[in-house]
Amino acid sequence: MTNEARRDFIKGGAAGIGLGALASMGIFSYSPARALFMPDEVRKMKDFGAIKSVEVTNISETSWFDNSALMGDIKGAGGLLVDQYLFNWPPFGNGKGLAKGSYKEGMEKIKHLLPDKVDEAWEVTKALSVNPDNAGGYAALIEIERLNGEKKKYLLDCGWSYKWMHECFKREGIDKMLSSGEIDTLILSHEHFDHFWGLPVVLKYKPDIKIIIHEGFYPEGRQYIKDSGHKGELVVFKKGRNEIEPGVCTFCYDCPIISRVFGEQSIFVNVQDKGLVSITGCCHQGIITFSDSAYKELKYDNDQMYGIYGGLHISPFDDWDPKYDDLVIGLKKWDYQVMACNHCTGLLTVQKFAREGYPIVRGTARFRTKTTDYLGNGDKVKFG
Amino acid sequence: MSDSVDRLYLEERRLVRRYGPVKSVLLNSLFIFVIFYVSWWIFQDPRGLMRMYTPYVGYMWCRWLLVVMIWVAYLFDFWPFKKEWLYKANPIKKGIIFTIIVFFTFFVFLKVFFEFIMGELAISYFSPRRLAELGITDFYALEYAAQAILMFAAIASWIGPSWVVASENSPWERLKQPVKGFSVFVLTFLMSFIVYFVFFHSQMGILFDPWQKYTSITPPWWHNFADTVHGNFNIAWIMCCTVMVWVYETIWERYPFNLIRTDWMRRTAAFIGIIAMAFCIAFFFYYLQELIWGEHIRGDRRLYAPDWRWLHVGEIAIFWLVPVLFLKFYCNNGVNQFSKPVNILLRTMITIVAAVILYYVYYQISHFLLGTQKGFSHPQQFPMIPMIWFINVMLINYWFMDGWPGWKLDGKREEEKEHLDDFGNKNALLGMLIGVIIGAIIYFIVVFLAPTVGNMLTIFK
Repeated sequence: MTNEARRDFIKGGAAGIGLGALASMGIFSYSPARALFMPDEVRKMKDFGAIKSVEVTNISETSWFDNSALMGDIKGAGGLLVDQYLFNWPPFGNGKGLAKGSYKEGMEKIKHLLPDKVDEAWEVTKALSVNPDNAGGYAALIEIERLNGEKKKYLLDCGWSYKWMHECFKREGIDKMLSSGEIDTLILSHEHFDHFWGLPVVLKYKPDIKIIIHEGFYPEGRQYIKDSGHKGELVVFKKGRNEIEPGVCTFCYDCPIISRVFGEQSIFVNVQDKGLVSITGCCHQGIITFSDSAYKELKYDNDQMYGIYGGLHISPFDDWDPKYDDLVIGLKKWDYQVMACNHCTGLLTVQKFAREGYPIVRGTARFRTKTTDYLGNGDKVKFG
Repeated sequence: MSDSVDRLYLEERRLVRRYGPVKSVLLNSLFIFVIFYVSWWIFQDPRGLMRMYTPYVGYMWCRWLLVVMIWVAYLFDFWPFKKEWLYKANPIKKGIIFTIIVFFTFFVFLKVFFEFIMGELAISYFSPRRLAELGITDFYALEYAAQAILMFAAIASWIGPSWVVASENSPWERLKQPVKGFSVFVLTFLMSFIVYFVFFHSQMGILFDPWQKYTSITPPWWHNFADTVHGNFNIAWIMCCTVMVWVYETIWERYPFNLIRTDWMRRTAAFIGIIAMAFCIAFFFYYLQELIWGEHIRGDRRLYAPDWRWLHVGEIAIFWLVPVLFLKFYCNNGVNQFSKPVNILLRTMITIVAAVILYYVYYQISHFLLGTQKGFSHPQQFPMIPMIWFINVMLINYWFMDGWPGWKLDGKREEEKEHLDDFGNKNALLGMLIGVIIGAIIYFIVVFLAPTVGNMLTIFK
């Protein structure tokens, strides 16, 4: 082959490589045949035990009382990606106004009062914070009945406003349960203000409570646990499945969340003869991801996704996006039998679920819950 | 009417390095990075001054600035500024003047065309004020309107340059400015409008409850094919079109369609070919995600959500565009010593490797550096924003400032007779046939290795 012929051959070869690669991309990549190279999914069917029943008491699902006030703060501070510790929301108010907050400056004002004088601390921070009266919080009491009849209580999250959470805890008798040691474990779903910042109210009654967090907590969050007066064990769970007790586990997800929060954990409970119940704070990882984790990893009764309690973070701010419609359409195939979703699931989502015929548990609309469309403050739901 | 086709200022100017190749590249890299970072902090960073990255307001601005820059440099060829002035003016002065013009043009466009004409007189969702009046919170009223406006920009940033690059300004290529610019502008704007309504209006129609079935197709017509009702499916291939236009214009030097001698055939083939190639890479980028993260699940959120995966297709494409433009602007395309197809193949491989590195580095450091959230699939953030912001800075530097400080203007280039590297013989055709087979084999090797390599490159432990 002459030099020129070789050059032509290589030239053609180079063009051909591009053409062949591009054509293959176009023809094969989105064809049914693409499944040939997909990783095989084998269900692990891990037996993690079972319990007789679980009852969830909604201590508070009302994280904030006025959506437009919260969104006004978010808009004013610079949107959904702004660090939550910078908003100047209570309890970290420093008196400098919206978006000029700082964990350190805010904590300096109240640290000496925590955890015993939470009411006084709230009064101090109220005067220095943005929209303090809009703060509510999310918390739930999980009561497990084991197969041998023993009862065990867990606290999921601890809300936001010291004042509001204190009222809610007293209303549901949580303060006494903490003091008596009936509740000895707090599972924090994630670091968001409305799930976590009410921590001193819990520690006022039980400073040595065991706290379980996801490893994605930022330094400010870990410091807040210390500054709030925690004296007990701090357990840091990593991504994936983590055991709590037979029939109860959490799954941790490394998911990025608005206002600079990273990671969430949610709870699975296997109820004997019924199936799997998912209990969530916000479920930022997505309820289908969460369900899919169980499907791939766990063995549960009747192979049935049985129940849901908690927030599904679909339209928390009365917002909407077409991808949420995908969820409303797509959740059907998981065949949940009881759906007690509230909080950041969003009213519009619950209404759409109801229209689509999902088994939504309605509530009584007490204690500042706005609607009977979903399970409200003070309401209970029992699975099993 | 002139018989000859005027060259664009960007095509006819000659830039020469002020210093050695390494120093010039380093100097400009430093310059654009500093400008990028300072402007990011001022305008976009969630920790910074204006915090426009809400996300949609900042997203809209950065997409539209890109579109207006394309209008200024490609459609209008810097009209009303005379070329004599462009050759004489100080590059920093030019950079400042054109950047201000770009910002001001979009501001006027936003307020007059979108918010007033479209939003107040035609379609509510273009006007934040109207949406707020209808009961949407102020924040989301602004976000929804910004989303609609930026989607229009996504289309315009493909069709505008595509008409110049692929269709060669046809049929107005022989006209003078501003008639040529306005003609192409009106046509591409009209085409963008049609594409917008066919591919995005339905997405906005289902944004509200109940679905706006009397004014848009609900559910959107693409939902069974894309496994999502979300318009991100269209964002995916349209972003790939945008990227392919610039790949075709820069590192591919309008190859291979410039081999076609007949004007109308070449132009048509290039315009359609870019779309076809965009679909090829869009499907491939989607498939890569399935291979690495597993099959998508309809209705899921984040990593497994088809809507996010389609969006990420566009994001991956933009990660590729950054090294493509860098190689063209600051490295004279890098590889020029072989035949055109070989040069193009090598440049493509270099830019793909650079894109993979950029992708990895971005996700490693953006949380700290840019104030973005950790992780891949945050539903309210878009790596496209910093990437396009960076591209905008590069364009300001290269288009408006003639590559200052590493480069300077040195008059006009002689019009070169293009050497096409034709395929007119058996050896080339045989090589091509074997090349096609090798290309397909390479594709399947990549597909086979993708899950393993993807797991090795774990970014978030």
